[in-house]
Amino acid sequence: MKLKIGHLYPELLNLYGDRGNILSLQKRMQWRGIEAEVAEYTLSDKIDFSALDIVFVGGGSDREQLLVCKRLGEIKSEISDYVGDNGVVVAICGGYQLLGHYYKIKDELIEGLSIIDAFTEGGNGRLIGNVVAQTDFLDRPVVGFENHGGRTHIGDHKPLGSVLFGSGNNGADGGEGILHKNVIGTYLHGPLFPKNPHLCDYVIQKALERRGFDTDLAPLDDKIELAANAYIVSRFAPSPNNCECSA
Amino acid sequence: MRKIIAVWITKILIVLGKLGGKKGSSTPGVFALKICPQILEILSKQVRSGIIVVCGTNGKTTTNNLLFSMLRDQGKRVVCNNVGSNMLEGVVTAFVSAAGIFGRLDADYACIEVDEISTVKVFAHLVPDYMVITNLFRDQLDRYGEIDITIDYLSRAVTMAGDVTLVLNGDDPLVAAFGIKSGKKCVFYGVGEDVGIALHETKEGRFCSFCGSELTYQFYHYSQLGDYDCAKCGFARPPADFEAKNIDLTGGIAFDAAGRRISVNYRGFYNIYNILAPISVLSLLGLPFDNIDKTLAEYKPQIGRMEPFRIAGKSVIFNLSKNPAGFNQAISTIAGDTAEKDIIVVINDNAQDGRDISWIWDVDFERLSDVKAHSFTASGIRHNDVMVRFKYAGLENTSDNGNVKEAIEHALKTGNKVLYVLVNYTALFSTQDILKHLEGKG
Ligand SMILES: [Zn+2]
Repeated sequence: MKLKIGHLYPELLNLYGDRGNILSLQKRMQWRGIEAEVAEYTLSDKIDFSALDIVFVGGGSDREQLLVCKRLGEIKSEISDYVGDNGVVVAICGGYQLLGHYYKIKDELIEGLSIIDAFTEGGNGRLIGNVVAQTDFLDRPVVGFENHGGRTHIGDHKPLGSVLFGSGNNGADGGEGILHKNVIGTYLHGPLFPKNPHLCDYVIQKALERRGFDTDLAPLDDKIELAANAYIVSRFAPSPNNCECSA
Repeated sequence: MRKIIAVWITKILIVLGKLGGKKGSSTPGVFALKICPQILEILSKQVRSGIIVVCGTNGKTTTNNLLFSMLRDQGKRVVCNNVGSNMLEGVVTAFVSAAGIFGRLDADYACIEVDEISTVKVFAHLVPDYMVITNLFRDQLDRYGEIDITIDYLSRAVTMAGDVTLVLNGDDPLVAAFGIKSGKKCVFYGVGEDVGIALHETKEGRFCSFCGSELTYQFYHYSQLGDYDCAKCGFARPPADFEAKNIDLTGGIAFDAAGRRISVNYRGFYNIYNILAPISVLSLLGLPFDNIDKTLAEYKPQIGRMEPFRIAGKSVIFNLSKNPAGFNQAISTIAGDTAEKDIIVVINDNAQDGRDISWIWDVDFERLSDVKAHSFTASGIRHNDVMVRFKYAGLENTSDNGNVKEAIEHALKTGNKVLYVLVNYTALFSTQDILKHLEGKG
């Protein structure tokens, strides 16, 4: 078994320890004997999406995001086809914003990929802090840290989770991120996967299923990862429902 | 009259603060500004020969303190916020404590360290003649947003500063571009040769600040520091007015600069910049270098900058590592130490640390698997996260203990020669207290 991860433009989009997310995917595959290839792409590279199993897009500053969005515009249809074919996409912060129709800051409009029916606009102040969100497909909350000026509105889409603590997509509707087909968009860095091994495994599982491998992932010893997850949950969103004792 | 009252009350508060055992409080400055809002303006205008402000993510305290010592050892009277905070209130406290009781200031120079975000506030009261920028790294992200925001503050501040001369680390493309864009007079310093210490790490400023293209590097020192140029628009590392050459990092640090050989016994490549910057300023001020060797030899690095302790026959080295650039530098220094060792990493997430600790994933922990370290202990408020980082870096013999004292006592029991304790900001003073206490007992 082998999966190929395409890391889009890490030279530009590399804020908030994104390296940790790639490292998590890679290690958690390798520990199970799944070969993990990581391809890092620069703006000038030609990307063959048909060879990819997981596409990862991280966060960057506004300036860097602008550079990336120009390039993404040129390969819009290829990315759309990949998503239409159930390709797995993980997009964080800036990368998440680029999935929607646009991201408007001050007087500038950064055009997005329109892969999801969402848009992002600037708001008053940045939304910064630890986040705990509950999904309806994982047995324990997803935790992370958010830091974004943009407010994302996802219309009729399903959010990745509901916010138990923190601001989420826009600080108003209680939703965090998005889950659309096999596309996950989220404001959570933190980084996301090291402290949410259950979400990381979900992504790996989806990528395997798409390639016709129908096996369940072998369990790993996640004591250390889950302790880090449980610490954030118990510190910021303590409640009987999401206490670690339910595990 | 308000000025005199402000000076009196502030001085009383400073004395009271000292009695209370506080290290560098900014409270007196808050009161001084309330009683007399012009206090800093009035006092700073009395500085006779020049005000120098030092900014930058890493190294500004060492740079500023060295500059202070060099000026003092030339027999100059100098105002310095070396015991106070580097925000507006701390700067006010420094000036008031240097003033006489009738509000007269007898000072040739002022050298003031200012937090980048505070520059706009400070420059509303005080106009610097020289402004040093040491580097611009990613730091405390959640407090400041992104690095662009820091640069924004700095450029607003510089605009307020009249005909200030900028003294800039030209090896940092973000700093150099900032200077060029500012339109102010710029003087550059830098390390002009490859010393072969580059790590694999995230580089923040690798894209041209003018045209956005990727910069090409002849060589890297660390982070984004090095000899760079932009093939598209021609932006390049500016020729250095003050350059370190013939660098020798075996033992301490030695290099040629400003026409002389400089040699010190403290470690860490980054200290070359911390010495080069004040030397550049001294030279710009037209002052002689008479006592500089003595000043450098007597200089004690600040608390927690590879600070040595001797506990129960073991050498303990204590270092503040509060962002990826600083942490990777510490790892480089550890890698250069061939002794058998143990390592403790203490990470807190209090407000002053930055609530967001995701930067630990930008630190090259992987490199620690190869430095003769026999155990790794995660400690501090976020020890759980440090453990995860250790695990994914492939480190072995890891354990965690949120209690720093216990973690240190436990690590002291191993048979290895050296213990490294790396901490971030809010663990600095408490951990130093623990180490001093343990050293005193032995
Ligand atoms: Zn350029």
